[in-house]
Amino acid sequence: MRIGTAKENYIADEALFDTNVQRGWMIALIAALIALPFLSGQYAIYLVCLVLINIVSTTGLNILTGFTGLVSLGQAAFMGVGAYIVAIMEIHLGTPFLLNLIVAGFGAALVGIIVGLPSLRVKGLYLAIATIAASVILHFVFANWTSVTGGVSGLSMPPASFFGSELIQPDQVYWMIMPITVIMLFGAANLFRTRIGRAFIAIRDRDISAEVLGIRLLRYKLMSFAISSFYAGVAGGLWAYFFRVITPESFPLLMSIFFLAAIIVGGMGSILGGILGAVFMTMVPEVLKMMVGVLSPIWPDAVAVMSPVRIIVFGALIIFFLIFEPEGLAEIWRKIRRFFHLWPFKT
Amino acid sequence: MTISKIAKHVTGALLSVGLISGAAQASDKKDIVFGGSIPLTGVFAFAGVGIHAGITDAVKIINDEGGIEGHKLVYVPEDTAYKVDASVAAFNKITSQHDVNLYYGDSTAFSKTISPEINRLGKMVMTGASFASELDDPEKFPNIFIPGPSYTDMTGILLNHIAKEKPGAKVGLVHSETEFGRDPVEGAKATAKELGLDMNLIISTAPGGVDVSTEVLKIRRARPDYVIFHGYVLAPIPEFMTQARAMGLKTKFMGTFWSTDNSMVSKMGEVADGFLGVMPYNYYYSEQENAPMLDKIRSMRDTYQSNAYMQGFFSTMMMAEGTRNALKAGKELTGANIKAGLQEIKDFDTGGVIGVPVSVKGNSVPVGRVYRYDLSKKQMVPASDWILLD
Repeated sequence: MRIGTAKENYIADEALFDTNVQRGWMIALIAALIALPFLSGQYAIYLVCLVLINIVSTTGLNILTGFTGLVSLGQAAFMGVGAYIVAIMEIHLGTPFLLNLIVAGFGAALVGIIVGLPSLRVKGLYLAIATIAASVILHFVFANWTSVTGGVSGLSMPPASFFGSELIQPDQVYWMIMPITVIMLFGAANLFRTRIGRAFIAIRDRDISAEVLGIRLLRYKLMSFAISSFYAGVAGGLWAYFFRVITPESFPLLMSIFFLAAIIVGGMGSILGGILGAVFMTMVPEVLKMMVGVLSPIWPDAVAVMSPVRIIVFGALIIFFLIFEPEGLAEIWRKIRRFFHLWPFKT
Repeated sequence: MTISKIAKHVTGALLSVGLISGAAQASDKKDIVFGGSIPLTGVFAFAGVGIHAGITDAVKIINDEGGIEGHKLVYVPEDTAYKVDASVAAFNKITSQHDVNLYYGDSTAFSKTISPEINRLGKMVMTGASFASELDDPEKFPNIFIPGPSYTDMTGILLNHIAKEKPGAKVGLVHSETEFGRDPVEGAKATAKELGLDMNLIISTAPGGVDVSTEVLKIRRARPDYVIFHGYVLAPIPEFMTQARAMGLKTKFMGTFWSTDNSMVSKMGEVADGFLGVMPYNYYYSEQENAPMLDKIRSMRDTYQSNAYMQGFFSTMMMAEGTRNALKAGKELTGANIKAGLQEIKDFDTGGVIGVPVSVKGNSVPVGRVYRYDLSKKQMVPASDWILLD
């Protein structure tokens, strides 16, 4: 049982990890991430890569929606901007993937700032509609700026290379995706230890009060859009390197809804929530598929019959979590931790 | 016991041993796995369910007849919800669990995405739901097989029919603003020019758009004799036809494969009467002499089966035939050898799935027939003979 964590100074109070146990778990997690490609097959690594890309984008949306309170349904389109930038740079310039990803992030951030301009005047559903409109415009650009984007046929790009070796297979691309995801997650977690992060939270809680406190709303709202879009742009760039074919249909509106659902299910305003939400939304359909697959030897047509049922179960699970734990999976995780902290006493 | 009786017994015993060992050898033969990224849910589920049923039945028939040169064909499907990432996940899952030689992909985007990986693995050929013209290039996509004509070929078949019916006719092309919709535009323009047709109108509509009044006005101004729709399943084709008929236009409307399913066309109502469409296969109900495979399908399923079913069925037949050719030639089952086996297919009798013997050209089978919807019969009925493109 742990009765509390004594903090003797502000640095300790602001630390990302309170205890040695937490630090130990974090080291174990990173060790597991490093060991994963040596222990798993391509399918498992593929899924992990997909989860990691979704975590980056979900975290970006969480910064905007969960921490700043600005609802956006344009995340997929911002990912598209990043993906196209990476593809164009890789095809025409052949520049290193790290530079391409950074440029993709900044390119998407610039677009995010423009899309975020209405956020000073509109909030909530109105802002969501404004971001949908931006998303439609961006899709139009992807589909019709044929000389640059390849039009509706899109672009096929060469793989990333690292010191001359091409990163083609999931277990190779993993070494690009995993470290970048970890760095971006640490960046997001640290953001909320700074004035900027706290300003975002103040705006979310009550924007008028925040302004009274001296927080310039336009600047910080646009900054939140920029950071969120930067994450989306990098995620889009990673997506591009992962699949190597980008078309306007690669980033539909449904994908934005996927990310919004991920932060709601995972827990808004929590970095852990974004991670858990992305894991849940990506992996649960796969796990349900595996469960259907188990039935195949005894029921050959199980895949066809049970697939629609699987979708219903997935939807029902989301509703279940929203009803029984509106604060998301992150809160469930906190409750589990509290239980073990206080065990064997009443929790 | 006489010597002749002994000889009979010995011969019988030897034959039994031979048969048993032969059977054992047959059952020892390695299974041939046909993996599939199938859209059983999502926006393309209407087709995915039919494709799945078609593949399942074709696999059963092939195995009941002794498999492919004694090898059992095993179909391993995964649902993809018509999403590229899910299709790739399914591909990775199936290929990591099975030694896959044949694969069915659910979309053009997936085919383009996974094609380099299939080339790299070098042991399989992929067919699928896409008839994209871009894939009909053996140089660029050496391990892809299109189970029918490409979209450009489909419009070519329709234009050939038009050129025969009304030389010099004015033709319009209405397509959705998607990769699927735009696919045959340039090819159709070139074919129309070649055939002396006047393609005087090209209209693109937003995906999912339902208000087509502006586009119908364009048709009224251009007054084409024929309008070909491509890139749609159902909507907005009925809206176009209803408004055009209300304006008194005599234009004949046509569709490509995915919009010519009999049950889909029936849903258009009275306005569908006379609607023309290109179909590479016979319909489930088609009456044709000497069509044992079509009869088998009807004996296995007593209700109407969609175009998608026929597509899945035909894909499996052709993939099995290509594999059979490779095995007969004593070759190892690699992507290149199976593809060579497919390209060897000449004048192949499909047992009535297609009304004429078929040959593989490039990556596709450029054959089809124009059908017309007969409202009184509530059926698409043949409006042309089978058209084979060069």
